[in-house]
Amino acid sequence: MSSCSPKPYLLTSRAGCCGRYLAKLSSVGSISEEETCEKLKGLIQRQVQMCKRNLEVMDSVRRGAQLAIEECQYQFRNRRWNCSTLDTLPVFGKVVTQGTREAAFVYAISSAGVAFAVTRACSSGELDKCGCDRTVQGGSPQGFQWSGCSDNIAYGVAFSQSFVDVRERSKGASSNRALMNLHNNEAGRKAILNNMRVECKCHGVSGSCEFKTCWKAMPPFRKVGNVLKEKFDGATEVEQSEIGSTKVLVPKNSQFKPHTDEDLVYLDSSPDFCDHDLKNGVLGTSGRQCNKTSKAIDGCELMCCGRGFHTDEVEVVERCSCKFHWCCSVKCKPCHRVVEIHTCR
Amino acid sequence: MAGAIIENMSTKKLCIVGGILLVFQVIAFLVGGLIAPSPTTAVPYTSVKCIDVRKNHHKTKWLMPWGPNPCEKLKDFDEAVSRQIEANDIVFAVHIPLPKKEMSPWFQFMLFIMQLDIAFKMDNDLKENAEITLDVSLAYRDDAFDDWEEIAHAIEIRKLKCTFGSPKTLESEGRHYDCDFLPFMEIGSVAHKYYLINIRLPVNERKGINVGIGEIKDIRLVGIHQNGGFTKVWFAMKTFLTPSILIIMIWYWRRITLMTRAPVLLEKVIFALGISMTFINIPVEWFSIGFDWTWMLLFGDIRQGIFYAMLLSFWIIFCGEHMMDQNERNRLSGYWKQVGPIAVGSFCLFIFDMCERGVQLKNPFYSIWTTEVGTELAMAFIIVAGICLCLYFLFLCFMVFQVFRNISGKQSSLPAMSKARRLHYEGLIFRFKFLMLITLACAAMTVIFFIVSQVTEGHWKWGDITIQVNSAFFTGIYGMWNLYVFALMFLYAPSHKNYGEDQSNGDLGVNSGEELQLTTTITHVDGPTEVYKLARKEAQE
Repeated sequence: MSSCSPKPYLLTSRAGCCGRYLAKLSSVGSISEEETCEKLKGLIQRQVQMCKRNLEVMDSVRRGAQLAIEECQYQFRNRRWNCSTLDTLPVFGKVVTQGTREAAFVYAISSAGVAFAVTRACSSGELDKCGCDRTVQGGSPQGFQWSGCSDNIAYGVAFSQSFVDVRERSKGASSNRALMNLHNNEAGRKAILNNMRVECKCHGVSGSCEFKTCWKAMPPFRKVGNVLKEKFDGATEVEQSEIGSTKVLVPKNSQFKPHTDEDLVYLDSSPDFCDHDLKNGVLGTSGRQCNKTSKAIDGCELMCCGRGFHTDEVEVVERCSCKFHWCCSVKCKPCHRVVEIHTCR
Repeated sequence: MAGAIIENMSTKKLCIVGGILLVFQVIAFLVGGLIAPSPTTAVPYTSVKCIDVRKNHHKTKWLMPWGPNPCEKLKDFDEAVSRQIEANDIVFAVHIPLPKKEMSPWFQFMLFIMQLDIAFKMDNDLKENAEITLDVSLAYRDDAFDDWEEIAHAIEIRKLKCTFGSPKTLESEGRHYDCDFLPFMEIGSVAHKYYLINIRLPVNERKGINVGIGEIKDIRLVGIHQNGGFTKVWFAMKTFLTPSILIIMIWYWRRITLMTRAPVLLEKVIFALGISMTFINIPVEWFSIGFDWTWMLLFGDIRQGIFYAMLLSFWIIFCGEHMMDQNERNRLSGYWKQVGPIAVGSFCLFIFDMCERGVQLKNPFYSIWTTEVGTELAMAFIIVAGICLCLYFLFLCFMVFQVFRNISGKQSSLPAMSKARRLHYEGLIFRFKFLMLITLACAAMTVIFFIVSQVTEGHWKWGDITIQVNSAFFTGIYGMWNLYVFALMFLYAPSHKNYGEDQSNGDLGVNSGEELQLTTTITHVDGPTEVYKLARKEAQE
């Protein structure tokens, strides 16, 4: 689905630093030399240091960012704000710097993407120091021999924590925006951790369950995206409050039950993303495709904010009666079909 | 010979013995819970998609996912489509273990399961009952710069069992199917440091091979091996237990041979139980550290099977020999009805195990569950074994019920006896019940700990102390049955202490009809020793 998204009319919101620098990371080639770290724009000094120290991991960080953006675009493909790649437009608007729901989602999915990709890289042998490093027994071969290694997910999450969160921590985690970002980063990682599937295999005498080994398997990233999208829909608006000397975020509406670690939180309400407003970094929905029959947000009524829509008849060439193999060869016939495309005015 | 040790032992001494055994029991649990790590580790591997470029220049046929000579990698299959790489040239490579680690013989066994990530696509749906054909090979080397040596190569067919949670619409494209994991490989020894698995999914449209298997995104493996630490603790335990059981066994048999009469069935069965326990205990696994003996896993299964069969037979015979129905047993053939199911059941499981683990000696990728016929055959064996087990337990429960009914019947006539005699018999009944209780307690403990270890997570945290529940279960239960056999041989060994007791027994007098009737009833409760007491008395008269 992501193939259809980069269009010039997409709404954009520079949803904070994270989306931006990760988006940049996702577009660079492989990161194999320390110098590349210096050249990466958008990284803060501490991140550049981490980059140099963990060069081998950076490729996974990049892949994680890619994954996050793709997922974000997939989840928001039918909404007014559709998570368009953030640096295609040199726009700085208020929406960006504000802590909106959208920003919350981008932060969460980004930190989840990094954790996911690093964990994946661990299990395919790309990284040298996964799992074992973080166990009590230490990283020696004796540790692996004696008691095996802990889950790679622990390493992935820990790396995401130190690499993604360092931006907020370096500013001092006192501004409410930093608190919000940290919370949402953690919520993103929790979306993976709390959705791990436990799988077990019995291997006792004659395959009986006398011996049973269980392990945790990461959910597919689509599942993580779905979970976070649900959290986005039910995100809590918060404000800062001081309890003792520490600053915490509490729900603005005290009637609501307080948010958990897994919930997304935001500080500012989002604009309606309807009209072109470059100052605020909003592109408007003009020119977006919509669904004539739908009553939901992807329907023309809502998507076009009541401005109406054009209908064009377009001939499309589709692939049909395809023959697939599991990989790499698709034999199709081209079919011509006329479809109606509705675009917002 | 006046009786077994259990009959002549004072309650105080019995308590002391029980206490000592309890201490050992607790130690067995603690050794597993505190010293040993969890019994097994599961390591997730994600295969790397390599391009086989052998056609161009003749290189090694093994493709490495990483390391000094990594293969040319594919990021995803979109890349393969654009580069027009054929399915037959894509190799899924997995190196075991992960970087900077080494496998070790202490891992004892390795088994792998395979998980396929299959994404849903409208026009490339997974067929019903789809089968995937894998061309798999396994190699090893002991030095990072050696050449790979092939261990096995096979073409395997696995059934895909997948479900899709969402409606199959355009919206859900890209979501993954929920697929059951597939058995992949099992090896009974880990003699080498590095292993390499290469998997190909060859496509042959004409023969319908690997057609309609959906869009495979990734192949993931999970490797399970025993933890080295657990193996060491386990070996240590076996090495300690072997001489203990062996010594008590020799002591027990010596006591029996010292007697003038031939050993009775129950005594022989207890001895056989001791032998089968020793058979399990003997730590032949030490050899697996030095030799590449893949049959060790199968051998371990057989040893366990023999012990279980022996233990089940012992319970039946133990009950039977305490039955009070005037039947002359003391022969194994008298128990054919009860022992038969055990023999049939164990034989079934043996055949099943030979079909699974036996064949795996030749082809580690083999699994009986992958073919229809194999699954049915395996299920048949397991069901027959299950029926036999149920049948056995029905018999056992019935026999235990009979014994207890007879005991309570006898207890009602106890007050009519003379005091010394009554005390004597009350003691006997108490000790018989005591042993029944111990057996039940052991069985219950096994079941409870089994359930606990199945239900709870692998370890409990208690302040700074981590208790490995699963390891504690294994060492604890293993220690428990050892202690059980030990106690059995000790308490049921013929007693030498009361050579003169015949005299006192004679004093009690067996003249009145009431007393005589009681004796014959009690005879069976008290087991072989009392039978012989009576037999000797009759001979004297």
